[in-house]
Amino acid sequence: MNENTHRGLLPAGLADILPPEAEHEARVTERLMASFSKYGYERVKPPLVEFEDILLSGSGAATSTQTFRMMDPISQRMLGVRADMTLQIARIASTRLSDVARPIRLSYAGQVLRVKGSDLRPKRQFGQIGAELIGSNSPQADAEVVLMAAEALTELGVPNLSVDLGLPTLVPAICEALNIDQSTDGASLKTALNQKDAPAIASLGENLGGRANELFSGLLNCVGPADNALKALHKIDLPEEAAGELEKLSAVIACLRERSPDLTITIDPVETRGYEYHTGVTFTFFALDVRGEIGRGGRYLADDANGDSRGGSSDETATGVSLFIDSILRALPEPAPQKRVYVATASAEVAQNLRLEGWAVVEQFAADTPADDPLESAKNAACTHLWDGSEVIPVTDT
Amino acid sequence: MLSNDKLVLALPKGRILEEVMPLVSRAGIEPEAAFADEESRKLRFATNYPDLDIVRVRSFDVATFIAFGAAHFGVSGQDVLMEFDSTEIYAPIDLNIGHCRIMVAEPADMAPEDNPQRWSHIRVATKYPEITRRHFAARGVQAECIKLNGAMEIAPSMGLCSRIVDLVSTGSTLKANGLVEVEEIAKITSRLAVNRTALKTRSEEMTHWIERFREAVDAVAA
Repeated sequence: MNENTHRGLLPAGLADILPPEAEHEARVTERLMASFSKYGYERVKPPLVEFEDILLSGSGAATSTQTFRMMDPISQRMLGVRADMTLQIARIASTRLSDVARPIRLSYAGQVLRVKGSDLRPKRQFGQIGAELIGSNSPQADAEVVLMAAEALTELGVPNLSVDLGLPTLVPAICEALNIDQSTDGASLKTALNQKDAPAIASLGENLGGRANELFSGLLNCVGPADNALKALHKIDLPEEAAGELEKLSAVIACLRERSPDLTITIDPVETRGYEYHTGVTFTFFALDVRGEIGRGGRYLADDANGDSRGGSSDETATGVSLFIDSILRALPEPAPQKRVYVATASAEVAQNLRLEGWAVVEQFAADTPADDPLESAKNAACTHLWDGSEVIPVTDT
Repeated sequence: MLSNDKLVLALPKGRILEEVMPLVSRAGIEPEAAFADEESRKLRFATNYPDLDIVRVRSFDVATFIAFGAAHFGVSGQDVLMEFDSTEIYAPIDLNIGHCRIMVAEPADMAPEDNPQRWSHIRVATKYPEITRRHFAARGVQAECIKLNGAMEIAPSMGLCSRIVDLVSTGSTLKANGLVEVEEIAKITSRLAVNRTALKTRSEEMTHWIERFREAVDAVAA
């Protein structure tokens, strides 16, 4: 049956990227990396594949269901293909760069592979571009990462960007204070809160007691534009530890407002989905009329399992951002076509001079039979212009 | 931040639409005349709000349209939302219409001898393979699902399988086909469903409409 497979057929969720998109993607990636570099983030490049037990230890456990595995014939150990690069960067920081002064700023760009696509991103392989700020607990660190990413995306031309801030530690802190079992009722609560399912929260709340009902129903009304939502959040009488978590969010918002008053900020204190390993303020970037997320990130523990004897420091707090190149490309206008000139009969010098002027020059080989019309040949070679022997003339589509 | 795109409300075709429309009109939305015209071939309708359109699609498709952001909000049965289990859909309001239950049922003559605790693998005909698999997996039973789009009730008598998972409102169809309810998976009503990105990026508009629907539901209950 496999013998009949068309040679062009690729496995689900994988694609060849062709001109001009591949070029565009590479340029966009480099521009984002350049933006991160302006904030002092230095590029690192981890491998595609690592030992499974290390890749998926600690915070990495959250990516376990998304990770492809294979057996390493050399070490006879299981390997995992990265489904997310964030924790690879954290690993680098806590091992090879453990003696570098903190905080440490690292950036990366690379491809990740996932076992399953999601509704909005059926792709299983896509580019992830990110930056990690490791070893600072300051709300300014959270704000730096958000602002840097927002700036990079805006400079790139992503229109109408907004950032949704989250606090996935809030609901667990409340559950803890109210003695709600996190694995049973807490889990149902999280599902209902993630879906903003007010009726389900009300019925769960009834079973969990008046205080829980009041708190969780209240929290559900604190979702939306940051200023109002934050006011509403502060009116809720939170248990002490949860109130401490809220202060972290307020501090980050204050930093963001100070540095970038025009940034559109919404908050969602009850969403925990996709923030399985996060330990503080998280964020998601959206662009108006672009489906799905542009990027996301937040605070996490950089090293909570590989520490100790295997070489590495103990727990270290970090925050970072991951941008998804495919969503970014959807948010951007089509790239201007590259200026390509077709040179049929000219000296090598002419071609070289045009290249120096910034043209992409496609030369016709003498041995190839030219089409009767040089304009036709230029079009066939996807050129926008033609060298007519004395000057460059546009190839018009008529 | 205002979008140039119109908001799109997705409504389910068929029986449930009669229950939905009073809420829609209480929320202040009046679709153009063609919407009520059964003969009309239109699928997308203007409303009394220039920036709001309505699409009328099959109930399962409402969730698809919302999950992918093609519609910004809509009315969908909780059964459909459970089956999709999409991270991109919020379900903020119980519209208190379309009451029914998702049930496991089997032939009446089989039930007395059957002990569900002994099951390790069962074969089930259903419109809801995901809900069914999840439900049985949670109690350690592997469910092999045969996806049917309707008339589940005849599957056991036709020898397709012994059990079905289906929506039950009165139970009369089950009874007519010699089936009995074994287990309830969930109670179902229709929900106002909202696209996640729309709520994040067009939060004021979306919050406005969510509130209108909430008021409409409260007004009907009062």
